[in-house]
Amino acid sequence: MATIVVRDLWKAFGEKEVLRGIDLSVEQGRTFVVLGASGSGKTVLLKHVIGLLKPDRGTVEVGGLDMSRLQGPALTEARQMFGMVFQGAALFDSMTVFDNVAFPLREKQRRLPFAELRERVVQSLRVVDLGEDVLDLWPAELSGGMKKRVALARALVADPKVVLYDEPTTGLDPITTDSVDQMINNAKERRGVTSMVISHDIASAFRVADRLAVLNDGRIAAQGSPEEVRRSSDSYVQRFLSLWFEKQ
Amino acid sequence: MKGLRAAFESLGDIILFAAETVAWVFRPPWRSELVLQQMAVIGVGSTFIVAVTGLFAGMVLALQGNYAMRQFGAEGYVGGFVAISLVRELGPVFTGLMVTGRSGSAITTELGTMRVTEQIDAMETMAVNAVHYLVVPRVVAATVMMPILAVVFSGMGYLGGYLIADYVSLIPPGPFIEHTRTMLDIHDIFHGLLKALVFGTVVSLIATHRGYSASGGARGVGEATTLSVVMSSVAILVLDYVITFLAIG
Repeated sequence: MATIVVRDLWKAFGEKEVLRGIDLSVEQGRTFVVLGASGSGKTVLLKHVIGLLKPDRGTVEVGGLDMSRLQGPALTEARQMFGMVFQGAALFDSMTVFDNVAFPLREKQRRLPFAELRERVVQSLRVVDLGEDVLDLWPAELSGGMKKRVALARALVADPKVVLYDEPTTGLDPITTDSVDQMINNAKERRGVTSMVISHDIASAFRVADRLAVLNDGRIAAQGSPEEVRRSSDSYVQRFLSLWFEKQ
Repeated sequence: MKGLRAAFESLGDIILFAAETVAWVFRPPWRSELVLQQMAVIGVGSTFIVAVTGLFAGMVLALQGNYAMRQFGAEGYVGGFVAISLVRELGPVFTGLMVTGRSGSAITTELGTMRVTEQIDAMETMAVNAVHYLVVPRVVAATVMMPILAVVFSGMGYLGGYLIADYVSLIPPGPFIEHTRTMLDIHDIFHGLLKALVFGTVVSLIATHRGYSASGGARGVGEATTLSVVMSSVAILVLDYVITFLAIG
């Protein structure tokens, strides 16, 4: 059963058409990766999935709810099924690591006892290889890789059904990139979450994807399993992937 | 023509934003801890600066009042003049301007930074409405605290006026206080409090709206902050005239 279904999605900002008729679907418990160069419309697509942007045309359904039509409290309610990791981590800089990770839990379960809240925060941080020593640190005191890991812990702490990742490995060293890939796979295997990953990191994309799409200039140039996309005859896809595969 | 259209669009945006904010004020969950936190930041944090400016404003009023009224032999009325000027006019207006400079700018910068670094988007994705979480507590806190700060301003101003009258202008305390009693009535106090209440709401709505809709990185946040302070200051003076006109015609 498909959890995310995008149909004929169009979006323009002024004269600039960013998305031009996107169609895709993500099966429940699977990881779907959207690959593409910078400025190809990947982040705009992701923001439509969670209802941060409204389309000019087309629909986005997640778990049977039309995210492109929902507004106000209904949209807020629908977002309880999501977790999202932003490109720049987007940690609240006026809160400590503990308060950042605890934030979605506090909002979802307002009467959760503090001891249980702390335990779940610590557990979530442990999944991303961070210990209790970071709990009282401020985001400004963390390295780029640590910020990404805290953001990942925050996205997973409230047991979301769908997790969206916006460039989760951009700017990370190879070891941290590998551990982020493992975390995405763990979230899928252990918690059965449906994931949508936006990336231009081809190596990482092929490690985590069940299905892949390559976005070019607002359109999907190729879509399918990693192997199918690799064998695509589309010239842009060939050029996009060949640069990396030749290096290997 | 283009500028006028932009101004009307901006006004329309703020009105819609205000309507959304008011709608969220009455929806649970109630975040009283965030309101108290903002009352401390906006109110308690501004008390010292408001008290100092109030003290000196009252001292100047007493000096100027004495200078003008002495010519008619009416020095005794300085107390009433100082009190009415502070309570009806200078208290709410100066407090509004001080809070705009100190807290309004800080609110716009904080929310603007959160907007351009995607922190507000992140909050929305966690099923938390950012207007409910970030805007409502600031608007409620400013609306409650502005009248209290205006009272502090007027109180300190009256004290400053009394000290100048007594020790510099050598006006006996008796007539100073007696004329305050006869000239100042409860309607003057309500008039000043109403102004402060309106200024608190408007200043906080402008500050939160400019920050919430900021874009374009650090430069965009800077521009939003400047615009927030300018718009709030102009709004205070325009609304001051409108309320005064409606009250006394």
